[in-house]
Amino acid sequence: MRRTTATRTASIAVKGAAAVSAMAVLSACGGATSSDVAGSDETVRIAVNGWVGYEASAAVMAYLLEEEMGVKVDQQKIDEQPSWQGLNDGDLDVILENWGHEDLMEQYGPDGNGTVVDGGPNGNTGTLGWYVPKYLVDEKPELATWEGIKDNTDLFKTPESGDKGEFLAADPAFVTQDQGMINHFDMDLKIVHAGSEAAQITEMQERYSKEEPFLAYFYDPQWLQSEIDLVHVEFPEYEEGCADDEEDVSCGYPQYDLNKIFSKEFADADSPAYRLLKNWEWTNEDQNEVAKMIADDGMDPEEAAEKWVTDNGDVWKDWIPADA
Amino acid sequence: MTATTATPENAEAPRKLPDPGGDLRPGGAAVLRSALSRTWVQAAAVAAVLVLAAALPLPGGVTAFPGGPGEWLDGRLKELFSWVVSNRDTSPLFVYGFNYVSVYLGSAVVLIDDLLTALTWTGVTVLGVLAAWRLAGWRVMLVVLAAFAVFGLFGLWEEAMETLALITAAVLLALLVGLPLGIWSGRSDRAERVMRPVLDFMQTMPAFAYLMPMLLMFGIGNPSAAVATAIYALPPAVRITSMALRGVDKGAVEAAESLGSTRLQMLLKVRLPLAKRTIMLGVNQTIMLGVSMVVIASVIGAGGLGDAVYQALQKDRIGLALEAGLAIVMLAISMDRVTGAIGHGRPVPPPWKRLAFGAGLVAALAVFLLPTPLRAVDGWPRGWELDLATPAQAFYEAMKDTIGPFTSALGDWTVVWVLEPLHAVLAGAPWWLVIAAAAVLGGLFAGRRAAAVGVLSLLAMGLMGQWGNGMNTLSQVLLATVLVVALGVVLGIGMSRSDRAAAVVRPVLDAMQTLPPFVYLIPAVALFSVGRVPALVAAVVFALPPVIRLVNDGIRGVPANTVEAARSLGSSSSQLLAKVQLPLARSSLLLAVNQAIMLILSMVVIGALVGGGALGYDVVFGLKQNEFGTGLTAGLAIVCLGLLLDRMTQGRKNNA
Repeated sequence: MRRTTATRTASIAVKGAAAVSAMAVLSACGGATSSDVAGSDETVRIAVNGWVGYEASAAVMAYLLEEEMGVKVDQQKIDEQPSWQGLNDGDLDVILENWGHEDLMEQYGPDGNGTVVDGGPNGNTGTLGWYVPKYLVDEKPELATWEGIKDNTDLFKTPESGDKGEFLAADPAFVTQDQGMINHFDMDLKIVHAGSEAAQITEMQERYSKEEPFLAYFYDPQWLQSEIDLVHVEFPEYEEGCADDEEDVSCGYPQYDLNKIFSKEFADADSPAYRLLKNWEWTNEDQNEVAKMIADDGMDPEEAAEKWVTDNGDVWKDWIPADA
Repeated sequence: MTATTATPENAEAPRKLPDPGGDLRPGGAAVLRSALSRTWVQAAAVAAVLVLAAALPLPGGVTAFPGGPGEWLDGRLKELFSWVVSNRDTSPLFVYGFNYVSVYLGSAVVLIDDLLTALTWTGVTVLGVLAAWRLAGWRVMLVVLAAFAVFGLFGLWEEAMETLALITAAVLLALLVGLPLGIWSGRSDRAERVMRPVLDFMQTMPAFAYLMPMLLMFGIGNPSAAVATAIYALPPAVRITSMALRGVDKGAVEAAESLGSTRLQMLLKVRLPLAKRTIMLGVNQTIMLGVSMVVIASVIGAGGLGDAVYQALQKDRIGLALEAGLAIVMLAISMDRVTGAIGHGRPVPPPWKRLAFGAGLVAALAVFLLPTPLRAVDGWPRGWELDLATPAQAFYEAMKDTIGPFTSALGDWTVVWVLEPLHAVLAGAPWWLVIAAAAVLGGLFAGRRAAAVGVLSLLAMGLMGQWGNGMNTLSQVLLATVLVVALGVVLGIGMSRSDRAAAVVRPVLDAMQTLPPFVYLIPAVALFSVGRVPALVAAVVFALPPVIRLVNDGIRGVPANTVEAARSLGSSSSQLLAKVQLPLARSSLLLAVNQAIMLILSMVVIGALVGGGALGYDVVFGLKQNEFGTGLTAGLAIVCLGLLLDRMTQGRKNNA
């Protein structure tokens, strides 16, 4: 984020001129499409969704682009859904870590607007699901399964959930199927919406420190996983179609092979920056290493990226395109 | 506002007081009180009916509002959304309209930000401090200097400049639209009649609910954020400009008319200059609203200080969030003081001084834009940093350990014994009975018109498919209002009794009003655990300051001779308060209740970020999942609740 002032000042005249000329061009031909809105400089614009793992990936990519290839990077903090819209409108070039979103691919992908393309896997595997703290499972091993949860919903009662057990739901931006699962497996649970990831994490940490029971939607890779011990609750494995009816879901969450999404324009231009992002593939451990530096050790994302890049030359050197 | 509404009663007061036998209860007030108590008995009866109905084991089909119309509306809105997505690049509305606005606004924000960057921190500080000194004097200059120091010392300089750029662009946009509308509405009664409900609507519609349509129209990032901020900040610019023009001295206008001025001359040479000071207050209000919106706009990709707060909370760094929050407070206070000082009108220096100052500014600009050694191209020196985050974080941890058990018990008690029963009454009674109750209560407290508005708003809420959520939110808002008014009256009385207490409390209230609620949301979660209680706490913190102020003003506004008269008749200070000061400050108190409700409603969406659920959650969900219909209807339902509660608490305007 902390771009060096020198590059920014140098770019001011260029950018200003670009903006003015963009306007002049627009006025001349009359009418602006949404991709004109984005302007036309060669900065790579990365969508940064609001969780630390994503921020870690973005920081490393931005560092490599800027320091190794001399490409300017603009990181835009934004939620998942609007990021797709940003790609569609030409406001953004790439989403680095996409969790599913088949509906959006249908709307904006080759079969819809034709403005975005699948950029292939980034190597991370995403697990979504229901989690309970390890101290509960140590006491009652059956709590690691859905049957055990179903028989012990009383354990999770809170004032907010009344006479049912509390299921602590996630940030409203995330992909969920919890109500459908609760319906299908006929569990006496009530969803309590934490409303934001910050609130959810705070609540989990508080309960964890007091060793109180809780049952929550959570995911991995996530920095909190390295701070507190959570156990993933087993459900029948995901298979095609089991989650189609959102009111009645007969399986757990699928595993996601997290992938990259590019705007079609950015992919078609086939710039070196695009090829670096296209080549990039790393593991959950890689991401967690950077995420932990950011979330636990309090480093700036830039510093964390710099440290990772310095220590892991052999991992990233294959990503740099040959001609760059 | 308080002072003017209080006058009629104050004028009567001395006449009423000297009642024989030292009984302070005036005859007129006795009648009023018995009428009131009759009203209260009737209101209690209505509440009892609701409670009874809710206790009956009625099937859900009877209590819940029919769902058909809501689903139909949601379907239509979904279609509209898909249309926009697939036609953004072909429809003339976008190609010739919104997309242009977006290009220009985006470039404006970037240009301002680039200019601030090019000046570097030394340049911005010198120019900012100079301007503050010239416009508002040396005291305000020190405040501005302190603000710049805070940005730098907390390592938030770039974020602060980004926010400043966004606010500047948004406020300019708001004024560009707002001032002409204000002039129009100040000159034409018909325009005012049309505009008033629109402005009311803009002020009650939660900003989160229109962030999503903004994204659709203007794309992500700065353009949307600037438009959303401008919309949010527009109403006071229109209202106060209109009010200012209407308040221009009739004599001056007649004199100018008799000299044969044209209408345009009248406006430009007479009315506007005379109204200038008041208009500046409108500008001031616009800026303040802009500052508070900028934090919310971080949700749609606006960077800067708001984003810094948000990011810090995401990583459970309360201390860092507080630093960014304080930077926002300093930004708000300095902008407030500078524009406030312009509004209060400082003596204009002679032309040569102004010219010298202008030349100085240009010179300074040149110095900092050309490559001179005064520019600090490397940014704020890394060593000059102040760490407030670590002690703040330690304080937060300690607080959790000491009062945590107590607060969490209190929170649980509130949910089980207050919130849940109240919710059960509103949601458990049949919907038509709730509407009937609203009609009766509206009629009792505020007259027939208010009752009609209340019924229509509740009906509309049901038709949009938001009945259940609406009742949930209503129960939370009602409880928050009771808490805010109770605390506000007690603290306001305390403040009114001691000038020293008032002096101490005032800056605290300033900070409470400008600190972004995000900052205290997460500590509230840690203390009270996720759910409706932290949402309640946040709403109370946010709505309390104006109530305290209004109560304090109201009591201090009671004429000194009235108080003297009561004292000389031997009333104790508690009698004085209960029988004289509070009754005479009644209109201030009513206004306080009304303000409290409006502010609490504006926190419904923010509260949903920590588990408030209901309408607020739907607004956030709509924004984050691109569910246009859900977000919009939930937002409109909040407006409906606003209408209902506002009309009910404005009192019997015409027959009081």
